[in-house]
Amino acid sequence: MKIMASDPQTTSTDPAVFTTKTRNFGSIEVRSDQIIYLDPGLLGFIQYHRYILIEHHREAPFLWLQCLDKEGLAFVVVDPRNLLSDYQPSPLAQAMRDLKVDQAEDLKVLVILTIPPGKPQEMTANLMGPVVINLKTRQGRQIIVEDPQYSHKHRVLPA
Amino acid sequence: MLILTRKSGEGLFIGDDIRITILEIRGKQIRLGIEAPTSVVVLREEIYRRIQEENLQAAGARDVDVSEIAQLWRQE
Repeated sequence: MKIMASDPQTTSTDPAVFTTKTRNFGSIEVRSDQIIYLDPGLLGFIQYHRYILIEHHREAPFLWLQCLDKEGLAFVVVDPRNLLSDYQPSPLAQAMRDLKVDQAEDLKVLVILTIPPGKPQEMTANLMGPVVINLKTRQGRQIIVEDPQYSHKHRVLPA
Repeated sequence: MLILTRKSGEGLFIGDDIRITILEIRGKQIRLGIEAPTSVVVLREEIYRRIQEENLQAAGARDVDVSEIAQLWRQE
């Protein structure tokens, strides 16, 4: 298990370290420079703003988006380019301006997976509600894509 | 619920920085203009509910689910 530093190029001089509880990983140590602030928060959870990204399986692209404000709240996310190589919804450009992303490589785009209990084969990705993050400032938000080619229940694995 | 009556061209404010203007009324359709800070989420109700519902479902993911989907992914 590894928490992703949001900006690996920057080595913070003395980031504060604290311990937080999570549902899936028990107590973990988090550095202040690993925290991502989602503002507004995810729809349905707008009151929660602080998250970390946790890499879980080296051989698969899935990550945990773990909330720090509510230990039981965690989402499985994936870079949509693993699912659709040309995923480039038009609201991304506005989101980059809103989040003050200067360089494309500072932008992290993730989509949230829904895994039906007991039916992992039927997992879907929400291509309508990507989470976009400025890795430099660690500020992010969920944007809404209203484009008929992108479903909120995009099947990830073949039936 | 607060209920207000407005004519075409009139508007209203919600707080200091959200302004809603009635642009056009034609039959059963009303065109609204909305000016709000970028930090405010403005969405059609059905879209808002769809994303909210999907987030609520996704929030139930368990560690075992990720182990299973990682295994399925590697098999693909």
